[in-house]
Amino acid sequence: MKAIKKFFRYDNIGLLFALPAFLYMLIFVGYPIASNLVLSFQNVTVKNLVNGEKLFVGLQNYIELLQDSVFKRSFINTLVFTVACLVFQFLIGFALAVFFNKKFRIAKPVRGLLMMPWMIPITVTALIFKFIFATDVGILNYFLKSMSLIKENIEWLTTPSTAMVALVCANVWIGIPFNMILISTGLTTIPQELYESAQVDGVTKVQSFWRITIPMLRPTIESVLILGFIYTFKVYDLVYVMTGGGPVNTTHMLSTYSYKLSFEMFKYSKGSAVANILLVVLLIVGSFYLKITMKGEEN
Amino acid sequence: MKTISRRDFLRGAAASTAAFVMGGSMTALADDSTQEVSIWYYWETESHQVALDQVISDFNASQSDYVVTAEYVPYADFTKQLSIGAVASELPDMVIIDSPDHASYAEMGIFADLTEKFDLSNYYQGTIDSCTIDGILYGVPFGVNCLSLFYNVDMMEAAGCEVPTTWDELLEVVQALTTDSVNGLAFSSVQNEEGTFNFLPWLWSTGADTYDINSEGGIKALTYVQQLIETGVMSTECINWTQGDVMNQFISGNVAMMINGPWQIPTMQSEAPDLNWDVALIPMDSEYASCLGGENYAVISGGNEDGALAFLTYATADEQVKYLMDEFGYISADQTIAENQFDEDSKYNLFVEELEYAKARGPLADWPSVSDAISLAFNEVITGTATPEEAAAEAQATIDGIIG
Repeated sequence: MKAIKKFFRYDNIGLLFALPAFLYMLIFVGYPIASNLVLSFQNVTVKNLVNGEKLFVGLQNYIELLQDSVFKRSFINTLVFTVACLVFQFLIGFALAVFFNKKFRIAKPVRGLLMMPWMIPITVTALIFKFIFATDVGILNYFLKSMSLIKENIEWLTTPSTAMVALVCANVWIGIPFNMILISTGLTTIPQELYESAQVDGVTKVQSFWRITIPMLRPTIESVLILGFIYTFKVYDLVYVMTGGGPVNTTHMLSTYSYKLSFEMFKYSKGSAVANILLVVLLIVGSFYLKITMKGEEN
Repeated sequence: MKTISRRDFLRGAAASTAAFVMGGSMTALADDSTQEVSIWYYWETESHQVALDQVISDFNASQSDYVVTAEYVPYADFTKQLSIGAVASELPDMVIIDSPDHASYAEMGIFADLTEKFDLSNYYQGTIDSCTIDGILYGVPFGVNCLSLFYNVDMMEAAGCEVPTTWDELLEVVQALTTDSVNGLAFSSVQNEEGTFNFLPWLWSTGADTYDINSEGGIKALTYVQQLIETGVMSTECINWTQGDVMNQFISGNVAMMINGPWQIPTMQSEAPDLNWDVALIPMDSEYASCLGGENYAVISGGNEDGALAFLTYATADEQVKYLMDEFGYISADQTIAENQFDEDSKYNLFVEELEYAKARGPLADWPSVSDAISLAFNEVITGTATPEEAAAEAQATIDGIIG
């Protein structure tokens, strides 16, 4: 009894307060992850899902995946997709944030309107872009044709290389507001005095951007990029609706391939192995985020 | 004016909620002996849902032992829901599923043995095969369909064409029908079961076997599809078109001929009553071929099996079968009903004829993987990422790895 009392004296009482959250995480996050991990080391298919022996096969699912060309392709796709989306979302979002940071009359309402893409359900956005990029009835081909930029309709979603471009375009459109709003918030935290004193010292606008804005925004930029990476890397619904991983498996992401293996081809263990690989990548990136935010809190 | 205080409002809300909950449980408790029977199905067409609901409510009114309810689960989620349900032991009492998936689910061990419980002696053999694994009957065919060639009569007459019966004739006709705004032919080529369903008639027509795609016939079928794309008579967008999309393109006049099934006919007649169209057998290479489609009923083992069987017995009686088939645009799996199902001048009769040439897929527990390999092959050919020979060899390697 004394020992318990002693334990909860001073700071340790905090552990008790964290207990509900810890239990919640253990049950609703920890358990699925652990069970998924176990599943990926077994050979569960349609034949032994309900009854039957679930054999432990070690790393076999992972080894088979490394030899699977669709898996390799989806891994590279996910990386390429994520990097491409991040670059464009970030640059455009940054530019818009700086632009709307200027105090002109319609800045606020327009910035509000620009949040729209972030609020529309992704399946709806995906359908809209599917129509935009359609070969014969798509509005994009119609415009390109009427401006005489192309002669024949481009088969956006049915050609492997352009299907990826279409996916990136759609996702960039969705991601811009997210980048813009976070950077806007970051911009408002920079004290105006810095710019004013720099102006007194005769610093040009370009210089103050590179020497004041960027360094002051560094923590924001790091967070935006890492959060953006996590959001983008686990993309699922957009790809599922727009291309379904096609044409010929060339736009599969780790998430869609995992789904396909598990629920279309009944290879539950292999599907969960893919999901685990996705998780590992996100854990690595997530740990960077934690490191940065912890550093920020210490300061 | 009397204002309603916050407390009054909450009290009222609580009372109405309680009344609602009690009302709900009161109907359920109306008769202690009443048992619930739940069904999952995936038909998205409204007329299909209405027809099924009608049969269910008739059944519920006809007896007092069971109350049947049906729940719509989207086709894309169906395998997921059943897999999860199987693990969590939260399955319905009965499902209506796509016939090629039947073997997979049966292997999962979730279906009850129905051997000797139903007289299926008049049913088409292909439909019985689709729900029989190792000699044990795990389901009852709901109804069947198969694919045929739909054509726009006005466009055919304008181009001065005859209905084609061979691949060569078909290629000539669709080339004549193709204009700047009209594609001669379309069939759904999505990379999933739906696409495979539409490709298999071409494969089988060469005499090739499903599991032997890297053969003369298999390569010939893939080459034919390649020709359709390269000559511009078929759009590569077919790889993104479901059968419903293809039908919409057809009734909008963007496509002159399509491969599709009889379940589209009720929709076509209501959406485009003035369209002048007809149906014909799918043109052949060396033999007529089509793919057998349709759904099967299956009873979940360990669920309310008695209730499910009672409903199944009711729903498979002649009168209900006739009603459902007519509303669905399906053909009865019962041959004696199918032969007298339609008037002499009905367009459905062509599908009854086509059924003689239609083969079933599988049955094979690993059918989804085989189907995936086949659909990948023709998608590679359509998008030009592989030659027919390469695609066939790749698919064969996958299939050999599956069936050993």
